[in-house]
Amino acid sequence: MEYSVQIMSPAAHILFWFVMVMTVASAALVVVAKKILHAAFALSICFLGVSGIYVFLHADFLAAVQLIVYVGGIIVLIMFAIMFSSHTQEAGGEGGRHYLALGAGAATALIVFTSVLMMVGKLNQPLAEQNNRAYEAYQHTVGITAADLAAEPQRLGLGHMLMGEYLLPFEVASILVLAALLGAVVIVRKETKG
Amino acid sequence: MEAFLQTTFLADSLLGGGPNNLFNYLLLSGILFALGIFAMISRRNAVGILMGVELILNASGINFVAFSRFNGHHLEGQVFTLFIIVLAAAEAAVALALVLAVFQTHRSIELDQVDEMKL
Repeated sequence: MEYSVQIMSPAAHILFWFVMVMTVASAALVVVAKKILHAAFALSICFLGVSGIYVFLHADFLAAVQLIVYVGGIIVLIMFAIMFSSHTQEAGGEGGRHYLALGAGAATALIVFTSVLMMVGKLNQPLAEQNNRAYEAYQHTVGITAADLAAEPQRLGLGHMLMGEYLLPFEVASILVLAALLGAVVIVRKETKG
Repeated sequence: MEAFLQTTFLADSLLGGGPNNLFNYLLLSGILFALGIFAMISRRNAVGILMGVELILNASGINFVAFSRFNGHHLEGQVFTLFIIVLAAAEAAVALALVLAVFQTHRSIELDQVDEMKL
């Protein structure tokens, strides 16, 4: 009985498809929305959906980071940029996109998507194998309770990896973030002599 | 019960298996990637193009986590996605600063009107 709770239950399946449809629909809205502000709102819904997908992939720390950084940070930045730069309403909120641009975009997106599908189809046999391997990995976690998870959470392993094996990339990333911070300030700052 | 779970897990048929099938995640990230490319090519607004880039970064992140999860619950993919998120944040900050700088000089961020390199 607890088995069927550990393995995703029917309710989880329904929730999964709900999140999938929500993510894809809002991503489509990002592309087709006439006003750029509507696209930004749709993008925030899309990021929420991706965070839900991370939960389904057992990456709960990553889901929290996605919420904080994307929905809390990047969306706010994008909104700021839109509101700072869009009092030129005569542009009509980029109402008319060129048909050529739309066609070229759609064609390229279609080509990219079909090639991705073909690549996935090429690895069809390993796909079944990998699903099977995930099932085997689940077998070991059947007895794990919520208390066990709280005692040794996944973010512990993530922290050990960041501070151990991936210490150098971690430090490089921190320097990069510092550089981006200073760069953003320098770029936006008005030129003042002396 | 065991056999039933095994078959739902294997689910090599398309879309079967819900959250237990790697294909569904690959499909989602493929769709997000294609839509990101679409936005990048067809939008004229610089912020819209940036949104397309964010969609593409999210798609790659989903792929990393999905593959690491379906290869025996390793954490490497999650670390990579963490770095992707950091890079996306830094990139968004600089790109939006650039957008504001362009707007200050050109009074527009429609990229087909911003066609000279120096004023």
